Amino acid sequence: MTSMTRARRAARSAERNRDLSLLVAVLLALLGAALTVVYFMALQAGAAPRLADLAYERLPGTGVQNPVTAVLLNYRAYDTLMELAVLLAALLGIWSLGPAAPGFQRSGAVLAGMVSWVVPLLIVTGGYLLWVGGYAPGGAFQAGALLGAAGVIVRLAGDPRAGLPGEAAQRWLLVAGVLVFTLVGLGLMVFGAGFLTYPPKIAKWLILAIEMAATVAIGVALAAAYVGGRPPGPQARPTAEDEDALSATEPAAENTPAPSP
Amino acid sequence: MTDPLVLCIALPLVGAMLVTALPRWSVRLGIVSALATAGAAVALTAAVWQQGTLHLILGGWDAQLAIALRADGLATALVLMANLVGLGISVYATGYFHDRLRVRSFWPLWLLLWAALNGLFLAGDLFNLYVMLELLGIAAAALGALTGNRDAVAANLRYLLVGLLGSISYLLGVALLYTAHGTLDLGLLAQRIAAAPELFAVNAAAMALMVAGLALKAALFPLHFWLPPAHANAPAPVSAALSALVVKAAFYLILRLWLDLFWPITGMAAAMLPALLGAVAVLWGSWRALRAERLKLLAAYSTVAQIGYLFLFLPLLTATPPGPARDDLLAALLLMAVTHGFAKAGFFLAAGLVQTNAGHDRIDDLGGTAQRLPATTFAIALSGSALIGLPPSGSFIGKWLLMQGAIATGQWWWVIVVTTGSLLASAYVFRVLSRAFGLEPTPLKFITDARAEVPALTLALISVAVLGLASGPLWTLLGLSAAGSGTGGGV
Repeated sequence: MTSMTRARRAARSAERNRDLSLLVAVLLALLGAALTVVYFMALQAGAAPRLADLAYERLPGTGVQNPVTAVLLNYRAYDTLMELAVLLAALLGIWSLGPAAPGFQRSGAVLAGMVSWVVPLLIVTGGYLLWVGGYAPGGAFQAGALLGAAGVIVRLAGDPRAGLPGEAAQRWLLVAGVLVFTLVGLGLMVFGAGFLTYPPKIAKWLILAIEMAATVAIGVALAAAYVGGRPPGPQARPTAEDEDALSATEPAAENTPAPSP
Repeated sequence: MTDPLVLCIALPLVGAMLVTALPRWSVRLGIVSALATAGAAVALTAAVWQQGTLHLILGGWDAQLAIALRADGLATALVLMANLVGLGISVYATGYFHDRLRVRSFWPLWLLLWAALNGLFLAGDLFNLYVMLELLGIAAAALGALTGNRDAVAANLRYLLVGLLGSISYLLGVALLYTAHGTLDLGLLAQRIAAAPELFAVNAAAMALMVAGLALKAALFPLHFWLPPAHANAPAPVSAALSALVVKAAFYLILRLWLDLFWPITGMAAAMLPALLGAVAVLWGSWRALRAERLKLLAAYSTVAQIGYLFLFLPLLTATPPGPARDDLLAALLLMAVTHGFAKAGFFLAAGLVQTNAGHDRIDDLGGTAQRLPATTFAIALSGSALIGLPPSGSFIGKWLLMQGAIATGQWWWVIVVTTGSLLASAYVFRVLSRAFGLEPTPLKFITDARAEVPALTLALISVAVLGLASGPLWTLLGLSAAGSGTGGGV
């Protein structure tokens, strides 16, 4: 009897949930339609001179030939600097939540063979994309994404640290992007050019330096985010905190010999 | 040449990188960065005081192409408040965290949050504001979860997702405006919106999206649901930063958009809606604060109420023609926001001390706190009186001018909301104080833990004494008419 009423009640509440989600879907569809109409009205306005023309016009003074790179690293470099900080904040947030889960099982011969081919290729392609970003599609974010992907593959193949160095070195690599970016900007300000105002003569080299640091930082941040927690310590050098983490994940009784009665 | 406008953002950013790279030195480097940043904020205030609004286009390009930084009186006052509160929180945090991992997680995220706050107050570009909102939201949620317990992680995961929804809604509005007007610079965009009344539908839709997204982040009733658990479960210095600064940043942005950008298209009806929600927030937040069982939950609900007061100003500003009366309203709004910043930070820092000292923060079991922690209890009482709006606190003048404006514009009903909210606020503050005093003998020492109690006490004192008795400079900083200054000083 009670089970029947319970089942009926569950069915009714499921029905109510379905009605509710239908209502939400209809409302969202209406909102989407309204926004589409408004968007087309905005497009029709078209009166505003397109910013792209201006971006092309100023391109010779930026130190790069690719307009996208010019927007990211020259016109709106400050945005890019802060985006790098966002990436770092996300990773620090992940690290603050706890140690990483143990890695996957070591890969077999076939997968290991493939990894040893693919990873160097990814790294070389990343370097190519970084360089090519000066005059064609490419740049630090794409190159960094490839480096990050290389880290993901290494981790999937069984390396618990995704091929990254120890924690101390990892920290320096992570901050490299924002640090070089900000210091270049501040240096320019001290020498009178203004924050992130590159003199056209050396703009290319400054941008290249920033992009190299940013590529490393993005790659390391993405790979470390995939590891998903504070980096596991080096093979045989457990610090106090790693021991804490270890004892939290493993039942302590397994390692310590049972006291004799 | 160095520019305080840039240093306010670059210094905490460099500091965050150094504490990330050198975790062993995080406390020392962190406190040095905090001092340097606060110094830059003071330098910025001095520069704005002397020269008026500062404007800087980064990269030396046309304003359309590049990003502008801008410091007017409104932004500068909030930057100064945020940085002084930030310095207080930093000093407090040096003694608060004991676990090495917490220390190492706290400082980088805290300095990134600080950089994002300064960046947000000083930004003059819609997309740059979005980036700052993202940095602020991610750093804030990560910091809030730092206690690591289940409630804190769940509450802050929700905070993160809510924040992302708010940012995306804001970004949609930005995309619409950019498509229609072809610029992201606040100044240029304001001119183009004013010059294109035929695009009313686009502008209004963008405004609705942006204000709704930001209201979610500012925890305007009924979008406040995420705030109490997130703020009440965070570590004390983080709660102070979240409640005093982060929520305020979202409100600042709403105000900025409302006054600078969408002024031509906002009418009375548009201003009434947020104000009505604000009125409900004042009553509901104060009521829930009165019913709260825990001190930190009380403080979190009180933030919901205090944010509500700020929204009451919108219809008054709309109804008042430009002139000394409107200047007074604007200054009163700023005064209330700044006072709440100091008072709530002081309250949360003191509440954190009570919690670590007693091992809990249940209000009913606080007996004897006044004897054990006299300075802390005093800080709670001081900041509580600023939350109520007792003279001579800054919020007394703020509420006074708010009610004056309400009567002058014939919107008398807001007076009822303000007085009821203040009554409820005095009820919840005195409820805490009445529990805190026990029958034990009076203490021998006023200060028990200087590093934690002095910041809390200082922030509370600023909210009560400095802002209330010397609020005149605020009018000067805002560049407002001298008539307003006379009224402000006379109240």
